[in-house]
Order: sequence, then C-alpha cells, then structure tokens
Amino acid sequence: MSLDSAYIFRVLIFPGFTFILLFTFFCDWVERKIEARMQNRIGPTYTGPAGILQPFADFVKLLTKEDIVPRGTKSVVFRFAPILSFSIFVFALFFLPIDGANVIPHSSFDGDLIFVLALVTVANFFLFLSGWSSTDPYSAIGATRVLTQFLGYDIPLFIFALTSAFLANDLSISTIAASQNVPFALLVPWAFVLFTITLQAELEKDPFDVPHAETEIVAGYETEYSGRRLAFLKLAKDVQIVLGAVIVVELFLSGPYGPVFLGLPAFWYTLWFILKVLFVVMITEYLTCIFARLRIDQVLVINWRMLIPLSILSLVATVAVAFWLNPLVV
Amino acid sequence: MLSDKLGEKILQIQTPQSGKVFVQVNAGVHRDALRILLDKDESAGISAITGVDLGETIELMYHVRTHGTIVTIRTEVPREDARIESIADLIPGTDFHEREVADLFGVTFEGHPNPRRLILSDNWPKNLFPLRKDAEITNIENKAETVTISDVDKQSSDVGTLINVIVGPQHPALIEPEKFSLKVDGEVVKEVDLRIGYVHRGVEKAAEKRTYLQDVYLVERICGICNAAHATGFCQTVEAVMGTKVSPRAEYLRTIILELNRIQSHMLLLGHAGLEAGYESFFQYMWRDRELVMDMMELLTGNRVIASFITIGGVRRDLREEKIPKIKAKLAALKEKMVFYKHLFERDPTLRMRTENIGVLSKSDALKLCVVGPVARGSDVKMDVRKDEPYAAYSEIPFKMITYSEGDSWVRLMVRLDEISESIDIINFALDNLPGGPYRVRVPRIVPTGEALSCVEAPRGELFYYVKSNGTAYPERVKVRTPTFSNILSFAQIAKGGNVADVPVSFISLDPCFACTDRITRLKK
Repeated sequence: MSLDSAYIFRVLIFPGFTFILLFTFFCDWVERKIEARMQNRIGPTYTGPAGILQPFADFVKLLTKEDIVPRGTKSVVFRFAPILSFSIFVFALFFLPIDGANVIPHSSFDGDLIFVLALVTVANFFLFLSGWSSTDPYSAIGATRVLTQFLGYDIPLFIFALTSAFLANDLSISTIAASQNVPFALLVPWAFVLFTITLQAELEKDPFDVPHAETEIVAGYETEYSGRRLAFLKLAKDVQIVLGAVIVVELFLSGPYGPVFLGLPAFWYTLWFILKVLFVVMITEYLTCIFARLRIDQVLVINWRMLIPLSILSLVATVAVAFWLNPLVV
Repeated sequence: MLSDKLGEKILQIQTPQSGKVFVQVNAGVHRDALRILLDKDESAGISAITGVDLGETIELMYHVRTHGTIVTIRTEVPREDARIESIADLIPGTDFHEREVADLFGVTFEGHPNPRRLILSDNWPKNLFPLRKDAEITNIENKAETVTISDVDKQSSDVGTLINVIVGPQHPALIEPEKFSLKVDGEVVKEVDLRIGYVHRGVEKAAEKRTYLQDVYLVERICGICNAAHATGFCQTVEAVMGTKVSPRAEYLRTIILELNRIQSHMLLLGHAGLEAGYESFFQYMWRDRELVMDMMELLTGNRVIASFITIGGVRRDLREEKIPKIKAKLAALKEKMVFYKHLFERDPTLRMRTENIGVLSKSDALKLCVVGPVARGSDVKMDVRKDEPYAAYSEIPFKMITYSEGDSWVRLMVRLDEISESIDIINFALDNLPGGPYRVRVPRIVPTGEALSCVEAPRGELFYYVKSNGTAYPERVKVRTPTFSNILSFAQIAKGGNVADVPVSFISLDPCFACTDRITRLKK
C-alpha cells in the first residue's frame, strides 16, 4: 500500500470521505422527503432544487451557532464524544465495498464483518457517553436507554449477520457481497426481514426510538448539545443510518454488484450501490412512519423474547437449507 | 328529601330556576346535608364550589351533582374569620375546588389534607385574596413574598430511595405550563403532586368589570378549542337569570356549532395522543382531516377557531339554505375517514400496546374524584349533560351515550372516536330538521337581580357556569368551572404505580386543557 495520489483520492474524495459525506446528506434528504410524503406533508423545498441542499444547510447553520458547554458536564468526554462517534461510523464505512472495492484498497481481511459490527458498537457507546457526560436528567435517561436498548438488539443483529457469513462461508464483507450471484435476501428472506427490523432498533427509529422520545425526555442524550457539537452528533446519526443501510446491502443485497454495461464497472457498481442503499433507506423510513413508539420495557421484551430466539431459529433454518442453496452461491 | 332529614336546620329553600334547588344552611350543617345527598345517590359528586363576597360574609355554594341535576348547598362564613370544615374527606374530588376557594377568597378549610396553594403563585402576598371585592391588585411585584423552594419542587432531591422527577412547567409533553412532581422508584411512579395555575388570567375577576355582552366574548376566550361551549354556558345562564326563551332555530344552530366544536376538539386530542405515543404519521393525518371541520365552522360562523357565534338571546348569524349541502358533503367525507381511524385504533398493535391497560381509572375512583366527560364515560360512569339535563336542542335529537367499562387510556380515546361519529349524526339530524323562525331575540342590556347556574357538555366534559346579577349591566359574580379542573385530579390516581414512560400517554388521554383550568387571577394589569 503506497501513499500515491490515487490512494489519497480514494480516501478523501471518492469513494471515501467526501462521497460518504455527500451521500449522507443526500440520504437524509431522501428520508425527510419520504417521511413527509408518508405523512401528507411536502418536506424540504426551499434550499436547492426540491430542497435537496436542506440537510447541508442545516449542518452549516448548526456550525455557526453558539456552542454551549453547560457547567458540571464531564467536559472532555462531552466535547469529544460527538466527533469520535462520527469518525468511527465513517471509519466503519471504509471497510465496505462501495464501487466494487473497499475505500482503502486491499484493506479487506477475513473477519472484517466482526470488526465493522464491533466498530458500530463502539460508536454507539460514544453516543451513550455523550448523554452520560451531560449530567442532565433527560440526557441521563436517554443515555441509559441507549445502552439498555443496545443490550437487547446487538446480539440478534450479530446472529442475523452470521446467516450471510455462513452462506458465503466467509467472514469478510467484500467476499460475502461478491459471492451473492443471487442476493441472499431472496435465498433467506426471513433473515433479511428480521435483520431490517433489528436494524430499526440499532438506528433508534420507530417503533424503537425510545432513546430520544421527545415527549418524554426532550431530546434524550442530545438535550444539552448545541452548535458545532450538535451538528456532528446529528451528522453521526445520519452516517449511522447510511452505515446501517449499507450493511444490509452488503450482507443481503449482493453489495454494489450488479449487471455492468459498456465496461466502466466502477460507475455501474456505484450506481447499483446507491440505488440499493436508497431502497433500504426507504424501507426503514416506511417502518418508521407506520408505527407508534414502544416503551423501553416493551422493546426489551421484543428483543429478548422474540428477536433472539428468532435469530437462532433463522440460523438453524439457514444451516438446514444451506445444502440446497449452496449451488446458488459463488 | 333534604328537608325531611335536616328539618329546621334548613334556613331557606329557593328554586330560582326550574329544576335547580338552592338550600341554605348554617356553616357546619353543610357536611350533614352533603352526607344525606351522598347516602341517597352513591354517584353524587361535587360539581363546583362557588364563593361570593357578600360584604360582611363570604357565601360558599357547594354545587352537588346528583340524579343528573345540581343541588346547591349554600352557607355563609364571616369574612373576618373565614373558616369552615373541609368536605374533602367525604368527597376526595373536592380537593382542588376547596384549594381554589381558599386561594381566591381566603377561606380556610379545616381538615383539608393538602392545604397548599394551588392557583396563586407561592410568592403572592399573604393577605390579598383576588376575588374579594375590596382586593387591590396593583403593585403586586413589590408586595411579593419571598419563598424558599419546598422539597416537592426540587429536581432529583433524594427522598429515601425515591427520586423526584419534575415534569413541567416547561416540558415538551406539555403544551401548556403545568407542573407535576413525580416521586419515582426506578421506572415506577410512586407519588404524584400536581401544581396548576401558571397561566392565570383572572377571567372571573375581569368578567365582573365588563358588561354581559362583553363577557360573552371574554368567556369564549377562556379556551379557544371549546369556545362555543363556553359561550353557550354563559349565555344560557344569563338567559336563565333574565327568563329569556331562545327560539327553536337558534337552539338548533347552537347544537350544530357545539357538535362541530366537539368533533374539532376530539380530533385535535386524538392526533395529539398519536404524537405522544410517537406516532407522527397518525398525528399528521388526523390534523389534516380536522381541516374539514374547520371549514365547516367557517361555513357556519365565518370564523375558523373562535366562533363568536353565540350571543345572549340566540345566535349572531343565520345559516343560509345554500350552505347546508356543502356542510353535509363535508360531514359525509369526515364520516368515512372516521371509519378508517376506528379500524386503525382497533388494529394497530403498537398503538394498543402503548395505551391498553395504561392509566386505569376504576369506576369507584372516577366517582370519588368527580371526573366528568369522556374520562368518566371511559370508566363506565353514565354521565352526559346532553342526556341528563338536555339544553339547546338535545332533547329532540336522538343520539347514543358512549360508555366503555375498561377505564384505561385506550378506551378514553375510543370514547372520543365514537363520539365523533355520534356528533356527525347529530349535526346531520339538526340540519335536516332545522326549524324556521328568528335566529335571535333582542334582550335588554341590563339584567334583573337574580342568579342562575347551568351546565354544558363541553368536549372535555361538564362545563359549569354560575352567574349572579345585581340588577346592573355588570355581573356581580361569574363562576366558571371547566372540565379539566375536575379531571386533572384523577391524573395523580392513574399515574400512580405506572411506568414513567406512560406518563405522557395517560396524561394526554385525560385531554387536559390548562387554558381552561387556569383562568382566575390576573398577575399583571
């Protein structure tokens, strides 16, 4: 791995940092539009064509706002938690094939699936810390809810991810993605559906958005944040949503791979990638819109009594049918 | 029946209006009188306590709701040493009523379980009682007392293992400023302390300074959502004092606006309940369809929110024939939507998980706490002023009283959902059978001496009005008891033992309206 200009371009511009950032803003806009249309509203229209620049404008606006660090906060953690969780989410994205290869070339290794999922866990922990360090009752409740909820969904999420790994017979994400001639979503649809539902909990979306139930605990762990730090906290959440969607795409929808016309695989792969991610984002937004928020204990009951047994069942079922499915896997 | 038991203890019995009995007794005997009424009818409850400053004495009127009508027990206490035995042990629902009178008239209720201030702020001057006639409400800021924050009002002060969580006065779940101190053990609510009175506007005092006609517009502004109910309540009471008979056409038009008002209010609440349960799509849909009702209000009255439609002697505008089909078309569209919402409320699993068996109010508690309206009907208390004491045109219009027996948050919302359908039928019937004739009668500006009370079934429940006239163009006393004031006490009951996360949902299922509840004291001129 040499530090030549192509490498720097990949990391900083495409498909690295800049692309991920712009794509995040774009996904945020799509989400807001979908949610608005679902709720019989119009959504952003003002900034840019059809309001497409609205997420970016919001981000810039927050950057210019006064940054308040309340007295009594554990200030080092409070200051660094947003930026750390943001960078970890972006870092995790670097291990996922976007235009047919990983962002950092040749960085894929056997077991990076577990590494990426672990990174997500760590980043979530920073979200928890951001609330915990605020020493505000609403933030504290929000933070404990992040952790409580997280204890419930992290295990089924891992087990569902293993379904794909088992089928592909590999723990490396790029291999899993590349081995899906037929997307795993078609081979093991139950795992795909359940993984998407579990992801709602991971992304703190309805019906699992208890960590920031506005009507109960204001903004949850975000309550005390303002200005730049809030901007990055919000951005971290948006990147997390993209990351979640990308993981679904890589594990169940054959990653960026799809038919290539007229050469130029990188272009087509990126296009397929974007379309597939938008498809998953659409599903998550749809689920968000049709459910009411559950209570934290009800979320845990669903996680422990339903999702965990189901995840094990799903794994068993996959093992049982693997023999017939194997010819379809590259 | 009271006269048999009490015998010569009764000083005087009056019936200034048909069906409304005023029984005058000495202070102290009021407890016996109440006990007799409670023995006769186990579902009797307090409707309101009115205080009137008579100069030498302060008159207290206990308006008791029994057998579907209101019996008033009247007693007097000396102004200088104003104290009387509390009846909170007989009827727990009088808690707030007595504290209100204590704040505003300076009457001490002996034996009251929680005699803290309710309406006035803690730093309000000690011996200034705003509704006494001689109260000088000027320069209040300089007379303010210094107070220390009591333990109940502190966030997270440890009381043993309990944590004090304060919800309000400013909180995203509360649209209007009120405060609840919840004593929380883990996630379970152990005790609730309520404090209202953050937005007092002194409407009752202000009403004494305005003419009757001006008061119509004043009382409408007590609550924007149920403005027609307030206007009807006030006008009916004044008409009763004057002995005016309203024309049948006006009665029907009043019924229509009252029901539109109810639909609008219920839809607002249902959407809001969706928001509290984190169901934003439902909220957006409900409020979109509420626009249909607003359009109908506009067709009928020319206004969308504050109708300014009802006046003393009738209504202010006639309904023109060509508007009726337009209203009926909108009603039909609304009815169709309601079928969908009912289906949704019955089927949606997440919505039911959040509301079913949450905040249960049993029938006996409902009676004890004297709740009114949909809250009472959700707990199987058959009580609806429209049926019990029909006013406007309700005696001629067939409709069903909706009751459920579960008493949880879900049925409280279902009661409202079903009532919307009933209201649509009522309006349809009223439009079909609209009598001809004048829509108002002219009334004199000066009202003869007298007093009257009346009740209206506002969207949130029984709304009580009492007006006393001294023979001038200005009322001597106007008493308003809004439905939320009766219902809010039950929140302490339904939140206790529940989960913290259920507090907003069970709270909103009461349909609280603080603009109504706070209306008495003016802090600044």
